[in-house]
Amino acid sequence: MKQYSGAILLLAVMLVFPLAVQDAYYQHLMILVLLWVAIGSGWNLISGYAGQVLFGAAAFFGVGAYTAALLSHKLGISAWWGLPLGAVITFALALPFGWVCFRLRGPYFALATLALNEIFRHIATIWESLTEGMVGILVMQTFVSKVPYYYIALGIAVASVLTVEIVVRSRWGYYFVSIREDQDAAESLGIDTLRYKSVALCLSSCMIGLAGALYTNYMGFIDPRVVFSLHDVSIAAILVGIIGGVGTVSGPAVGAFIMVAVMEIFRSGGFGFLGKLSSATGSPFVATLTKYISEAHVLSFGLLVIFVILYLPNGVVGDWPILKKKLLFWRRQATV
Amino acid sequence: MKRFAFLVGVVLAVGVSLAGTALAAEGPIKVGIVLPLTGEQAQFGEIERNSFQMAVEEINKAGGVNGRTIELLIEDDTGKPDVGRSAVEKLISRDQVPVLTGGYSSSVAYAICAVAQQRQVPFVVTTGSADKITEQGWDYVFRLCQPVSEYPKALNSFLGEVVKPKTVAILYENTLFGQSGAKDFAKECEEAGMKVLLKEGYEHGAIDFKPLLIKVKAAKPDFLYMISYVMDAALLMRQSKELDLSPKLFVGGGAGFTLPEFAKNAGEAAENVFTAALWSELVPYPGAKAYYEKYVEKFKTPTEYHGAEAYASMYVVADALKRAKELTPKGIREALVTTDMMTAFGPVKFIAYGKKKQQNSLPTYLMQWQKGVLETVWPKNVATKPYVYPTPAWTK
Amino acid sequence: MEVFLQTLVAGILKGGLYALIGLGMTLIMGVMGIINLAHGQLMMIAMYVTYVLFHYMGVDPYYALIVSMPSLFVLGMLIQRFLLNPLMKVEAILPENQVLMTVGIGMVLTEVIRFIFSSNYLSAQTSYSSEVRFVGGISISYPLSIAFVVATVLTLALFWFLIKTDLGRSIRAVSQDPEAAELMGINAERIKIITMGLGSALVAAAGTLLLPIYYLYPDIGGPFTRRAFVITILGGLGSTVGAIFGGVTLGLAEAFGSTYIGMEFEEMIGLVIFLLVLLFLPGGFKRLTKV
Repeated sequence: MKQYSGAILLLAVMLVFPLAVQDAYYQHLMILVLLWVAIGSGWNLISGYAGQVLFGAAAFFGVGAYTAALLSHKLGISAWWGLPLGAVITFALALPFGWVCFRLRGPYFALATLALNEIFRHIATIWESLTEGMVGILVMQTFVSKVPYYYIALGIAVASVLTVEIVVRSRWGYYFVSIREDQDAAESLGIDTLRYKSVALCLSSCMIGLAGALYTNYMGFIDPRVVFSLHDVSIAAILVGIIGGVGTVSGPAVGAFIMVAVMEIFRSGGFGFLGKLSSATGSPFVATLTKYISEAHVLSFGLLVIFVILYLPNGVVGDWPILKKKLLFWRRQATV
Repeated sequence: MKRFAFLVGVVLAVGVSLAGTALAAEGPIKVGIVLPLTGEQAQFGEIERNSFQMAVEEINKAGGVNGRTIELLIEDDTGKPDVGRSAVEKLISRDQVPVLTGGYSSSVAYAICAVAQQRQVPFVVTTGSADKITEQGWDYVFRLCQPVSEYPKALNSFLGEVVKPKTVAILYENTLFGQSGAKDFAKECEEAGMKVLLKEGYEHGAIDFKPLLIKVKAAKPDFLYMISYVMDAALLMRQSKELDLSPKLFVGGGAGFTLPEFAKNAGEAAENVFTAALWSELVPYPGAKAYYEKYVEKFKTPTEYHGAEAYASMYVVADALKRAKELTPKGIREALVTTDMMTAFGPVKFIAYGKKKQQNSLPTYLMQWQKGVLETVWPKNVATKPYVYPTPAWTK
Repeated sequence: MEVFLQTLVAGILKGGLYALIGLGMTLIMGVMGIINLAHGQLMMIAMYVTYVLFHYMGVDPYYALIVSMPSLFVLGMLIQRFLLNPLMKVEAILPENQVLMTVGIGMVLTEVIRFIFSSNYLSAQTSYSSEVRFVGGISISYPLSIAFVVATVLTLALFWFLIKTDLGRSIRAVSQDPEAAELMGINAERIKIITMGLGSALVAAAGTLLLPIYYLYPDIGGPFTRRAFVITILGGLGSTVGAIFGGVTLGLAEAFGSTYIGMEFEEMIGLVIFLLVLLFLPGGFKRLTKV
């Protein structure tokens, strides 16, 4: 039980968060974090544990999102049905997706998923009679308050993390890791690698698809460029995984928090602090600096990725002992 | 894990304390603006920001709003709907702005509209032109600019009175603006008895349009209508010239075709190209020319219709603030409903027509590139130059 | 018939340019086994170098090759030396870390350029940008023809270099078996640095040749990265002749797809071919021809 005390404490904090923080803006940011926890956990299961690097998370995310949107747009059913149905449809999609891509190994698998991601985006753009193309689909939100969305997102995020935790502790988890470490050896030990890779992909796709369906319900508007975005979904999912820690249960949660925080701090110029500073001091230097900093949100992220891959290859969680040692070392030096 | 929980706690605490800084009742009136200041659309976001700021300086210098000044809170949407949403959430809940404006790309504007409506904060859409924005029956959404389906209004009358074409080919970029504009235009052409020989989309960023243009050449339409962004527009025209494709006239559906970069990049191939347009500094509205000159003097770069839209939006918002009985979102909304004023972008009055609600109705223009200058050629009463038609074939 | 011929010409000419883009990638993938997802971004940097030379110093883009290729050679070497080679020694769960690293590098390159030049569209219009020759009613673009010739010359030069020179032989040795090469006294790390430099210089040539007929903004890299790996997989890893075949095939497929299916399918066609080749013809054209 002791090993879970931190997680339970965190969960308690998360449960009271919307009651303690009434500000819809922070609630919104936390919902984004939770969404990314689900996507990151999904990515992590197939890539971090089973070792099949997924470059096309957006394909599942987008299909989940479009399932929800089309239910309400075409059939007039509540987009919330998109959550269960989106999970089912992404699951059904993951099987042929895996069948196509799992013949390939390592980077070729990654490239194939990237190509499928782009193909899906193009289909969604071109097939106007079904998807409305780039015009996008609008779904009116059910709630004005953020709190219901927050708890639903929390539910999905917790379910995703728990699923990963349970799976990696089960027999499946050992199969996944053995496939990651040496696929041929796993095969020779009698593990049906195709089957277990497919299991991992299906589970992952469900989490990502759920997040997509929630995105539609929460954002109220989707178009192919947004939900099938290679850059903003597929690569972002990888970054969440890498920064948090590949092959760790809590990694995606940490990565999601870092990513949303870094992006938002830069975008808003330190939550508007720099803007206030520049208008207060009236100094053109601070104003220019503010402008540059707000423009640097993607740059900062790219640098962070390079830094993490070079110096913390197992992410913040995976390399936490190293990180802790380094931080302590710096602190000691500073006091000397 | 514990440390992580602690970290979350710290961040939350900081968040709560920041959130506590609500605005005082007196002091400047805050106006929230959402624009793309980074990313691919940043160039136009910048022009709009400059124009908003220029207008606000003028308004504040002239005494502000009933003695109070206006303060702009400008947020970056990076051109993405979800980020735009974050930004507007922040403006409404943290900064508690009573009124919103801006909104460059249609998809971002659309996402913002949904939030504005839900949180009941009036939003004056500056540029987002997808028709559906004002077709949802939202009573907190107002739109200053023309919807995309009306861009070719002046073109249609020109075609009907002068060209009388029988066939048309339509090319469009696969974006909200392109796809919906092409659909509407094709419908109008068919209603006017024209035959649409070809209607085809493309992905922004293609290098070689020749496979597409050769099909147009083989179909021999009377005229070619293109909805394209600026660089694609220039490539389309240059490659049309390379292929010696000469319909009776080339028409651009606004956007890219009206910008100075189009003429610069297309070079000679831009000559005599017609384009639907919403505004130029030569339109007969008071303040249009003055706005253009002041902008050029201040920022040393030319401005265009996006800037004029932003400049006019600011005046519309300031006018509503002046007339509002109380400075609450509701009070400002009621004032906006009764807006009836003249701006550099044209007269502004939010009316309901067709499926639209609270939509400003403005005429559009047909312009033509003549010797590197975009001249208004239709309607005749505001034309700065006579039109050149039929378009001379490419000279070799 | 005119439609068919014009499409054919357009496809072949564009294919020449694609070949040049794929040539650098095939070298990098073949020797190092790295999928360089920053390839298009390197091309973008070369285009900015060309733009600066053209715009501020009035250097013709074709002469700018003399500057853009060496500068990208250096940039490629620096990336390999300081960012990719150190990864070999890092213990990580995923061997694909290198691929992910190139994603990060691509992001940084794009954003640094955006910082300096902003997102505005830029272009270098030359007197010959739109020049064409008409041969029997078929329009042939002059700058694209030049790009095609340069691509062919560079491919042949690279072919010769890999077959005939000592350095070229070392590169091939490392691509076949890095450990054995190491035992034979070849410094594999150094060879990788040089290869990455060469690959970057080749894509720089593509960028410089593309600039006069195209335009430029910081996000231009992505689609070209995608095309580069499609071409490489089509042609076969490490095969210089394969890159030419891959490039022309992709150019033709895109052109015929645009004409006979629809322009909006242009990018999709390349990706579908890519998947089909990966699944049914692993090894690409190289396997068919054994070149």
